Parts: sequence; structure tokens; C-alpha cells
Amino acid sequence: MSASRAIEPASRWISCPECEASCREVPLPPRAILRCKRCGVVVRKSARPTSLQPAWALATAGLFLVVLANVNPILTFDVVGNTQPNLIVTGVVELARQGYWPVAALVFFAGIAGPALYLAAVWYVVSACCLTRRWPQLPRVLKAAEILESWNLVPVYALATVVAVVKLEMLGTVAWQHGALWLVALSLCAFLTGQLFDHRMVEERLEKLT
Amino acid sequence: MSPSDRPRYQLACALVAAGIILYIPANVVPVMTMTVVGQVEPLTVLGGVQELYDSGLAPMAGIVFLASIVVPFCKLAALSWLLLMQGSTAWQRQRAAVRRIVHLVGCWSMVDVFLLSVLAAVGQLGVLASVRAEPGALFFAAVLVCTLFASESYKPRMIWQTKESLPT
Repeated sequence: MSASRAIEPASRWISCPECEASCREVPLPPRAILRCKRCGVVVRKSARPTSLQPAWALATAGLFLVVLANVNPILTFDVVGNTQPNLIVTGVVELARQGYWPVAALVFFAGIAGPALYLAAVWYVVSACCLTRRWPQLPRVLKAAEILESWNLVPVYALATVVAVVKLEMLGTVAWQHGALWLVALSLCAFLTGQLFDHRMVEERLEKLT
Repeated sequence: MSPSDRPRYQLACALVAAGIILYIPANVVPVMTMTVVGQVEPLTVLGGVQELYDSGLAPMAGIVFLASIVVPFCKLAALSWLLLMQGSTAWQRQRAAVRRIVHLVGCWSMVDVFLLSVLAAVGQLGVLASVRAEPGALFFAAVLVCTLFASESYKPRMIWQTKESLPT
């Protein structure tokens, strides 16, 4: 045991995140990438101590934007003087009232709860990494963030809103409200957080923490 | 396949099969009815695309057509291919790439459900203009949930689990 460690001090076996093949971890020079020999996926990237900070900033901003995008009306619809402001939750409530509660639940989860929980989970884990604090339940929250990633559907919701406005213009007058701006900002934040949140890097940092 | 992954594989198979069956009513049954000053108009998913195209909004119609008809179909086809090829050593890298694309593009099929939600919010304006959800929406949402969970439960490592690679 100690002999093999003496020969290869900085090399160990890690499993590929995609295909779980064993890859030998070697110390990486700056900007280098370690790829899996079997499936070609990136196994390790050389990381600077600050490389999680963009994800931290975006997740923090995203959490504020979730509140703003859900509290402000996104558009108002006007037919012959009857004006009605629309929030994201208005559609959920209306679908549930019409008896289509499974669809309402899906919209609620994918459009409101999913992104909020995803951003909260990312924020919690990345904050712990950046502040080097050993907060409780970190591995579980990281797992939750991984599962919730495919429910982070705000950009899809934003596109659907644009299509809906085009359709509604055939029926009456539609006016964008400032909630729409928050929605656009939120979808950018949510998308970029998803891109910049490096699961493997966080995992590695957490290992060092505990 | 490793024995611990067998239930995952079976779950993915069942969900894809359910998705294929539900795909038919999802596209045949109307998803919503739009009432504009007394004119009642039931719309299927394809009908909604047609209406957008007819009113001169071809790019918008293209997006909705891609997201709500092409993407679910391709997702079901790709997932069935991956599941049928399970255990074979052919095209493993390509299969890994297909799985990654399915995972990436799959979520855009939710556009139609969100669209329905934004339109239904308008339904509160009473007689002048109203949008009501129809049973097709349930089938459509069910197809999406099936494909989402199927692609979630089919892990990429399963592509590489062949008879040769596993000690039995």
C-alpha cells in the first residue's frame, strides 16, 4: 500500500461521470481537461479557487428574480375594456379551476417550484463551497440539485409566453408588463446557472471540506 | 446489465411504452377550445400550429411544431432505440451522444403545456373571449411526464454495460 503510494503520489482512480469507466486521475496543468478514454466525456477540468463564483452570483440573483417574476404581472389582456393582469400563477389556478389539476400541477412544478428549488439548492451548495462552511446535508442537497436540473424550465416558459402573446393579439389587446422583464432576466439567470454549475467540481470541493 | 440497474431499465421500458400509446390521443384529441365572441373553436396540438401558420406567423408556427410535435416523437423514437440496443456493443459512442441530445432538447416539448397555461389565464374574461383546457391536454402532459422520467431513469452507464464488460 504505502509502496504504491510512494511511486505514484498524485495519481488515483476515479470513475467517469457518464459511463463509470475507471479513469486514472493525473495532476492537471492549468486549462487542461481530462477526458474519459471510453466515452469521451470530460472527467476533470483544472479549476481555479474562484471558478465557482460566477455560479454563486447568478444563483443569488436568480433567487431574487424568482420572487420578482412571480409577484409582478407579466402581461395584461384587454377585450373591449375588460382588463386582466396575468401572473405565472394565474394560469395554474385557472387550469385547476377547470378541473385539469394534473396539468396545473405540472405547470406549477416546472414553471414555479422547480426553478425556485433548483436555484435554492445550487445556491446552498455553492455558498458552502465558496465560504468553506460545512453546512448540514450538503451531499443530499447536491443530489437534489442534480435531479431538479431537468425541471429548470423557465426559458421554456418565457418562449411559451411569447407564443401566447402572438395568439392573444388575434383576440384582443395585449400589453407587456414589467413582470415580463423579470421573467426574461430570470430565464437568463436560470439558464446560465445551469451551464456554469459544475457538478463534479462541487463534489470535489465538498470532499475536501468534510 | 448489472442486476442493480435492471429495475431502472424496466421502468424506462414501461414509461416509453406508455408514452407511445398516449402519443396517439395526445395528437388526436383537442387540447383546448378557444371561444372568440361566440365562435367556438376546438384545437388539437397540430391545429394550434396550423392556426399560427395561417395567420402569417410561420416562424412561430415552426417553433411550436418543432417543440410540441417533432421533439416528443423523436424523443420516444430515440429512447426506444436506446432501450432496444441495450447490451449490444454497436455504436456505443453514438448512443451516448443521442442520449445526451435527448436529455438536452427534451425539455422544450413543455412549451405547449405552458402555452395552454398562459392562454387559460385569459379564460377569466367570460363571454367575450375564453380559453378552456380539453382532455387532450391531459394526454399531452402525460406523454411529457413519461418521456421525462424515462430519460431520467435510463442512465448513460447502462449503454456501456454489456455481457463482455461485466463479470457474471
